[in-house]
Formats: sequence, C-alpha cells, structure tokens
Amino acid sequence: MLLELNDVSLSLKRDGKYVKILDEISLQVNKGETVGIVGESGCGKSMTALSVMRLLPEKAKLEGVINLDHEDVTSYSKRKMEKIRGNKMAMIFQDPLTSLNPLHTVGRQIEETLILHTDLNKEQRKQRVIELLNEVGLPRAEEIASEYPHQLSGGMRQRIMIAVAMACNPSLLICDEPTTALDVTVQAQILDLMNHLKEVNEMGIIMITHDLGVVAEVCDRVVVMYAGKIVEQANVKELFLNPKHPYTKGLLESIPKLGVKKAKLGSIPGMVPSPDKMPQGCRFFDRCSSAMEICKGKTPPMSSVGEDHTAACWLYEEKGGEMNGSSGSEGLEATLHN
Amino acid sequence: MDALRYTVKRIFLMIPILIGISILTFFISNTIPGDPARLAAGPYADAKVIEELQEKMGLNDPVYVQYANYMKNLLQGDLGNSNYSHQPVMEDIKQYFPATLELTFFSMFITILIGIPLGVISASKKDKAADQFARVMALVGVAMPAFWLGIIFLLFFYLKLGVLPGSGRLDTGLTPPETITGMYTIDAILTGNWTVFKSAVIHLILPGITQAAVTIGMITRMTRSSMLEVLRSDYIRTAFAKGGSEKRVLYGHALRNGMMPIMTLLGMTFGHSLGGSVLVESVFSWPGLGKYAVNAITYLDFPAVMAVTILIAVLFILVNLIIDILYQVVDPRLNYD
Repeated sequence: MLLELNDVSLSLKRDGKYVKILDEISLQVNKGETVGIVGESGCGKSMTALSVMRLLPEKAKLEGVINLDHEDVTSYSKRKMEKIRGNKMAMIFQDPLTSLNPLHTVGRQIEETLILHTDLNKEQRKQRVIELLNEVGLPRAEEIASEYPHQLSGGMRQRIMIAVAMACNPSLLICDEPTTALDVTVQAQILDLMNHLKEVNEMGIIMITHDLGVVAEVCDRVVVMYAGKIVEQANVKELFLNPKHPYTKGLLESIPKLGVKKAKLGSIPGMVPSPDKMPQGCRFFDRCSSAMEICKGKTPPMSSVGEDHTAACWLYEEKGGEMNGSSGSEGLEATLHN
Repeated sequence: MDALRYTVKRIFLMIPILIGISILTFFISNTIPGDPARLAAGPYADAKVIEELQEKMGLNDPVYVQYANYMKNLLQGDLGNSNYSHQPVMEDIKQYFPATLELTFFSMFITILIGIPLGVISASKKDKAADQFARVMALVGVAMPAFWLGIIFLLFFYLKLGVLPGSGRLDTGLTPPETITGMYTIDAILTGNWTVFKSAVIHLILPGITQAAVTIGMITRMTRSSMLEVLRSDYIRTAFAKGGSEKRVLYGHALRNGMMPIMTLLGMTFGHSLGGSVLVESVFSWPGLGKYAVNAITYLDFPAVMAVTILIAVLFILVNLIIDILYQVVDPRLNYD
C-alpha cells in the first residue's frame, strides 16, 4: 500500500466558522496503480488532493490519517512536509500556463525541484533537465529548457509540468484535471505519456477528473465523490459496466455513446449542495430518482455491493433498511424489483 | 540588440518632451511679475543702472527671442548666469546637485531595504500581528510630514542623545574629498579616504531616514497589495508543491512577479525625492538642489529656476526610461515594441 486515507475530514474557515468540505474520505492507492477520483465541480476532489499534499489554506482543519508508505503525513512538521513534497509525492495542476511561473525559463523551473531535493551539482542538474525533457517527449530539449512558458504550446507546457513533477521520481503523483485545459488530440498524448511514465517508474497515480473518458483511458480503480463524501468505489471495468449508486449511474448516462441514437442525453437535475447547507441524511437525496424515505434522515453507510466494489446507498443496505422500519424496506424492495 | 534600439528610440522621444518643458517653464517664469534686473541691481540702484542692466540681460527683447537665445546657449552647456550668486548656473548646479543626488540615492536605498521586505512580510502574514504592525508603520510613515519628523529626529538624536550629526554633509574640520562625482561617499571610496567616508555616511543618516519615511510607507503598501495578488496565483501553489519553503516561494517566485507596480512607484518617488527634498534639506541644512531652488525662486533668479526645472524634468524622464527598460528585464513576456 502506497497511500492510504482513513476517515479524512477537512474543514475550512468561511465567514468566521468552520465548514466541513470533506467528510470521512477513505481510499487506497497501490504502487503502479492509477486511482481516479471523479465527481462534479465542488464535490471535494481537488481538496482531497490538496489534503494529501497538505497544501491547504492556513486555517484548515484536517482530521483523520493519511499514510504515505505507512507513515502518517498529517503529523509531519512543515519542514518535513517540504522535504517530501515534489520529492516523494508530486502534483500536476489543471492549467499549465498559469501553473508555471511566467518569469522563469522552463529549464529553471524543472531544475528547482532538483535543487530542493537532490545533491546534484549544476552540470548534473542541467543534464537531468535535458533527460527529463526527453522523457516527457519534448524534442530539441536544450532549446526548450531556455524558453519561457508563454513561448510554448498548451501541450508542451503540460509536458513541462509533468517533467517538473517527475524530476525526483516521486512514488505518488497527483494529477488535478491534467488534461481539462488541453485540446482533445493533445489530451490523448498526455494521457499516453502518463500511462507510460507510470509503468516505467511504478508510481501510484491519483487522477482527478470530471471526464469519464479520461477515467476509462488511464484508471485502474475509480472513486466517485459527491458533496465531500465518497459514494462509490470500484475497479474501472466494474464501475462502467455495473454502476450501483444513482449518482454514478447519472454520471455515466450523461456521456454520449457512439452508435446509440438518443433524443436527449441524460442529466442529473439540480446542483451539488454547498458545504454550509449540507442536507441531513444522504446528500444526493434531493437529486436522486430512487430516493426513499430513509434517505432523507439517515446517512447511508459504505457497504459492499460486489467484489472490490462498495457504494454508500440505502438501495443496497439491507440491514439499514430493516433497522429503519417498514417504509425503508418497502422502498428497497420496490427498487430491487424494478 | 532589440533592447538597444528601444533605448535609443526612447531617448529620441525625450527631445520633444524636453522642448515642451523648456517652453512651458520659460514662459511661465516670464509672466511672473517682478523685475530680475531690479533685484540684481539691489535696492539702492538708480533707474538708469536698472535700464542698462535690463538691456544687458536681454529683458527688453520679445519673449520668443529671449527663449531662442536661451535654448541656443543651453545647447552649448551655458545655462546663463545666476542673478543671485553671480556665477554661471552650471557651476551652481555642479555644486548643489550631487548633494541632493546622494541624499536621494541613500533614502531610496533605505526605502528598498526596508519597504519591500516589510511589504512581503505583511502580505505573507496577512491580518496577523506582523501585518497589522507593518500597516500601521506604513500609515504613520505616509502620514507624518517630513519636516516635522526631521525636527523630531534632530531633537532626539542630535540635541538629546548627541549620537548623530544634525546638519551639513561632513564634520567640521574635514575637507571634502576630491570631486569626481560630487557625492562625498562615493568620492571618498574612490579616493580611499575612509575617515571622510564614515563622516559622510553618518551625516546622511538622519536626512536620509526622514526622506525615506514617506516612501517606505508607500512602497510597503504597494508591495503588500501587489504580493497579495500574486500569492493567489497558480504558480505559487506549484512552487509550494515542489517543496519550496515559504521564504523561497515568497522571494524567489512571488516578489519578482509582483515587482512591476513596485518598480513604477520607486521610479516616481525617486523623481519626487530629487525635486521635492526642499523641506528635508532645509531642516538639515543640506546644501542641495532643493535649497538652491528655493533661493532662486525667492530672488526671481530665472536662469537658476529654469535650469533646476529642466534638470529635474530630464532626470524624471530618465528614471522612467530606466524603469521601462527594467520592466523588460523582469518580464520576458514584454516586447521592446
């Protein structure tokens, strides 16, 4: 196990009071595995990533355990955290133009990671930068090293970001929507590159995206998040073929399928509730087509719905249904029979 | 190459600006009531002497002829004779200007040394005690009149404690170093005269800090707001994600990105300090351009007023040109076109 999150909760201070952004997130990433985190905007995907990196606002309250190589990083000091950031774990962000410093050459930006974490001398660092630029598939590496971000294309910039992240061979790479800002053709190239780097370096990758196409392309396992909670976890095939949670189903229905003529693409009505107005019980209740009485008042626990497949939904929680009176089980049966 | 062409182009563009300034100052000073000839001749001169003097000074020619003559002489480096000191204005300027320049450089040095780090700290510790302190200090610096602060400094450090000198550029008894730049500190270094250097620096401290108080306040506030903006950028998060320490991110990434408005303000304050140090120079009996200009105005010494005005205008434009060139050095995205 490379990375393990156990009941991680995060609260941020907004207008003087703490608002819970993440609620008991638990997930695992193994070596050489890509775990996708999907969900709509504002569901806490990025915040989960930033919690792992501990790149949170100063007044954030982080609870739970985040084990990286069996060591809890939540207990690390500032200095110790700086030592593993960019070194053992690295992160790639959404917009490669704004994520690179406009005033430094890209070579210097890649080199900075090496300065911070290695003992290489200037000559060796220069060599390693060229090596990295070649690794991420950039031709005429020496020229590019002395160029500025604004002189490069979007795809090249994202390759630079990857080179920055890969500089110290991290064991965990977190990618926050790495292809969202790129052209479709370039997206595929970048995803191929990441797949390749993962295999070569045996990294674990967390891939945050709202694009299920990206998930299908690169992920081994998927975590579906909704309103700061994990609602479903499964391996990628299982999730696409056999989605359980109504939210996941909704997400999958909103992808157009080739060769299937449909008058209207599926969509999920409503919006993700804001963290300070989180409903009681199941947070998806308002928007769920299979909602039952029990969903309104009680949060569904995570339960097994198949091999290596869990979901948090009363539809699959028999015990919960029984325990909560007849109305719940009636609803449950009704749905099961459908 | 590009940078060179840009610089040359900008220097040529200075010419029409300077002609405009010279016309403006010349005609304004000519419309001011008062007779320079009468002032030069003194209160007991009779009418005939004054008339002769008016003729000699060219005051009876039409204004545009006077202007043409003035410009002709100016291009030959002749700024006319001062009606008050009775020596060429050029000589006066050579004597007074380096003192002001030295004081300005010194106060700008203090401003950059204190103002920028204070602003950075203030931004990085937003709303915490350090930030509140820096903001109050900045406000106090901006709000206190320089002459008042100067007097307080004099009372305290010179009269009460006696640790710092209160007037002049050197201790009495010391001879100024051989004139190379006219700035005592630099000339002392160049000639290796350390006693004079030490004395010159000590004399700079009180007027320098007095002058810097206002600019430190302004630069601190500007640095703070500029940094706050930059610190929200994605590349700052990237820098932290690489494992950079707070100090490294602040000074290695954020400050340079926030430098543009700070540089602009530095350029402006530099220009202002050159022209507006009259009060500080008066309080500390600093023999600089400001005091010279005030005397020139009081005695309607037009050649001197003109010379000081044009000199400050040229410097202002030059400083702005330097800042513009520095922009391109700081930000590679800017082109020289």
